[in-house]
Amino acid sequence: MTVSALTYSRPHPRLIPVLLLKHGVIVRSQLFKVHQVIGNPMSTVERYSNWNVDELIILDISRGEDRHDLRRDDLQQHYAGNSALDVLKAITKVCFMPLTFGGRIQSIVDIETRLAAGADKVAINTTAFDNPALIEQAARRFGSQCIVVSIDTRASEKGGWEVFVDGGRRATGRSPADWAREMERRGAGEILLNSIDRDGSAKGYDLDLIRCVADAIFIPVVACGGVGRYDHIAPAILDGHAAAAAVANLFHFFELAYPHAKQAATSAGVRMRPGRLGSRFLAREPVYDQAREGARIEERLRQARDCDYPAASPEAAVKRRDIRWCTECTYPSISAAPMEFDENGVCTGCQMAKVKAAISTAEWARRKELLRDIVDRYRCKDGSRHDVVVAVSGGKDSYFQVHVLKEEFGLNPLLVTYDGNNWTDVGWRNMVRMREAFRVDHVIIRPSVATLKKLNKLAFVIMGDMNWHAHVGIMTAPMAEAARRGIPLVFYGEHGYLDLCGQFSMDDFPEVNYRDRLEHFARGYEWTYFVDRDGLKSQDMDIWKYPADQAMLDLDLRGIFLGNYVYWEANEHIKLITERYGFEVSQEAFDRTYRTMSNLDDMHENGVHDYLKYIKFGYGRATDHTCKDIRAGLMDRNRAIELVNHYDPIKPRDLYRWLEYVGMSEDEFDRIADTFRDPRVWHFQNNRWVRATLTAVSDRRAGWL
Amino acid sequence: MITIIDSGICNIGSVLTALDRVGARYIVTTEPAHVNSASALLLPGVGAFADGMEALRRNSLVEPIRAHAVAGKPLLGVCLGMQLLADGSDEFGTHEGLGLVPGWVRRLPSVPSLRVPNIGWCDMQVTNSTKLFAGSEANTSFYFVHSYAMECDDLDNIVGSIDFGDHKVTAACQRGNIFGAQFHPEKSQDAGLAVIANFAALVDLK
Repeated sequence: MTVSALTYSRPHPRLIPVLLLKHGVIVRSQLFKVHQVIGNPMSTVERYSNWNVDELIILDISRGEDRHDLRRDDLQQHYAGNSALDVLKAITKVCFMPLTFGGRIQSIVDIETRLAAGADKVAINTTAFDNPALIEQAARRFGSQCIVVSIDTRASEKGGWEVFVDGGRRATGRSPADWAREMERRGAGEILLNSIDRDGSAKGYDLDLIRCVADAIFIPVVACGGVGRYDHIAPAILDGHAAAAAVANLFHFFELAYPHAKQAATSAGVRMRPGRLGSRFLAREPVYDQAREGARIEERLRQARDCDYPAASPEAAVKRRDIRWCTECTYPSISAAPMEFDENGVCTGCQMAKVKAAISTAEWARRKELLRDIVDRYRCKDGSRHDVVVAVSGGKDSYFQVHVLKEEFGLNPLLVTYDGNNWTDVGWRNMVRMREAFRVDHVIIRPSVATLKKLNKLAFVIMGDMNWHAHVGIMTAPMAEAARRGIPLVFYGEHGYLDLCGQFSMDDFPEVNYRDRLEHFARGYEWTYFVDRDGLKSQDMDIWKYPADQAMLDLDLRGIFLGNYVYWEANEHIKLITERYGFEVSQEAFDRTYRTMSNLDDMHENGVHDYLKYIKFGYGRATDHTCKDIRAGLMDRNRAIELVNHYDPIKPRDLYRWLEYVGMSEDEFDRIADTFRDPRVWHFQNNRWVRATLTAVSDRRAGWL
Repeated sequence: MITIIDSGICNIGSVLTALDRVGARYIVTTEPAHVNSASALLLPGVGAFADGMEALRRNSLVEPIRAHAVAGKPLLGVCLGMQLLADGSDEFGTHEGLGLVPGWVRRLPSVPSLRVPNIGWCDMQVTNSTKLFAGSEANTSFYFVHSYAMECDDLDNIVGSIDFGDHKVTAACQRGNIFGAQFHPEKSQDAGLAVIANFAALVDLK
């Protein structure tokens, strides 16, 4: 008899994702201090619905009620308004599981408005301590079942634990068991128990803490804080006596993390509610309201025709933000990349770069052993298939990756390249050379040029970026090829956002996943969006179709980033790959950056694609590249600022290739581009677009203090 | 078209969102006239039994709902809405219900180590064939929040039950075109949405 065929005489222990909401975006948290931006809440909650999640906890950790903002307007998904309640309302549209909402709840009215907006329970923390009578009033008014008391604890030096409030900043002198008993007595229906010491640590739950509290009370304890591996979950229930295991960060990092975690807990003996993938009513690939979306596109084209640009309208003024820049690099506070800043104005990109630079040789050796374990688990044991798939563009990083996997790990990789038809001559030669230089098989996925032209033009009009096909193609084609061939491991190079903006921590080892692909690479526009536009059919979009969830789960398909396991400094590899494998270095400069080695596989990536980033957000590749060079200790910030101010505004020459390629006039391009100007950055003054620029100043911190 | 009775004692937003998601058309009302002309009724509810009945009486909805059910038109009660279908309840005293499904609502049995209210995902066994669970897998879990449950006089009216310790507790009932779900289909992920879709499909057949 299988587990799913058994019934159970009490409710199943629950596995609950926790989302931290900070000013409208989901963040990943470490020690309650570092908050890295994961993305928009709707994308994540929709994915949880695909995963048939038991229950959801959302904690709003914003400072203040307003300023909830996705920080950009070129995404498919939005919510109306700018308060936490507005976000909650948008979330409930895609949430068909019990939902607990917490954060800054101070009164009966606060509870009532959250329940009315769609929450089933509320989590109360600091206010429960400052005004314990509120718990009694709330339980009487709404029922204990919707009153959750959230308790944050820290291990105390004398042994035991102490309860902290105010986001871990204020000590209370109370022990968690004692405090939980009081809250139960006053009417709490559930305790959400968090360990600040374990937050984001990936060390596993503090089982002694959980047991101590769970055994002291009769109401359910939801354990939280510290899960870094799937096998950390079961002990919270089996040894800690919790009724539910809550997990925050982990589910952001891996594909199908929730079903995998449930499988692990079930195998360990926890009677979890059986997992099931997919929803008849909320498909993974979004179903768009095509009539409404068609009207949106028409409206944009009208704005372009009439020069009626959203960012130039008087109403746009309310969105304007004071742009600040990282005090150590050149990254701006409004950007295409998910970025946060600490109290000194240092961006998460710089913070993580320091963490990465401090990784010792011994630690890199340990990481390589982790990689060896993964490779040994997934490589072909009987010679029937390729060992792994490597996604390659033919660039310097591709050469280095294949070198490492072939020479150091002795693998027989299958190379897979997405051909978006935008190659530079050198880039093409480097890509084609790989199968001979490395003596490997190489599959090149080549969509029809007619389809590519349509997608270039459509994506430019829809989201202000012609390279949707390339970004989604690169994140899709190698995964799909691997799934088709039954190869469970796919290698990518570096995690772009970890490297550029410190979106994750170095111990997260984030992997390729559908949410990230749809939300960041596709901006919420799945291939389904293009069907029936400009004559495109579903079959034309085949190359952009990601493997099905069940197929990925059955194969245990993983897309991992080599840069998380192997020391990576591109400039140091160049000698190896040119001498040994004949890699050709490009001498030709791009118009928009001083670097010559990046993105040779796609002339528009550093060119007109990047120019559109400037049109939207007021910065471009030279900012990205100088940030990386500053963090690597190769460039001084003042020199970087000069380069940024010189390169970022340049209109590149590859634009003219693109205009001819898709059949568009430069005037039409400029007008459509201007509809995408982000009002947080740009305003229209005296007949021209104006933004704040970064200047070299002696006191960099002036803006922050 | 489904007519939803909003007697104002609970938030029905989640139910409406779920109906939107399965593509059902609906109106929300407290008007007896709307109930009289309804082709199908959905009676949601959270809270105490007496408050639920009182809200129906205050809005003069008791007789229109009974007439609707007697005419054989589809009716679905959810959570407290299901309990109201019974003859009465013991919750905070003895109270009369709508009397549409013979039975009485009683507190969940006291079982050592089991908490009341019963909150969480429980496996439900389909005990009699019903259109409400068409296409459901065996022992599908649904999300429950309740302290009371209906005990049906006619066991044939029980279409779904859960184990609560050694006891069987009614999770869903059906008598002709009158349906009840003790769990929250709008919070039970795909399995729950399927129940709502099944009810909506029943309405479209009429």
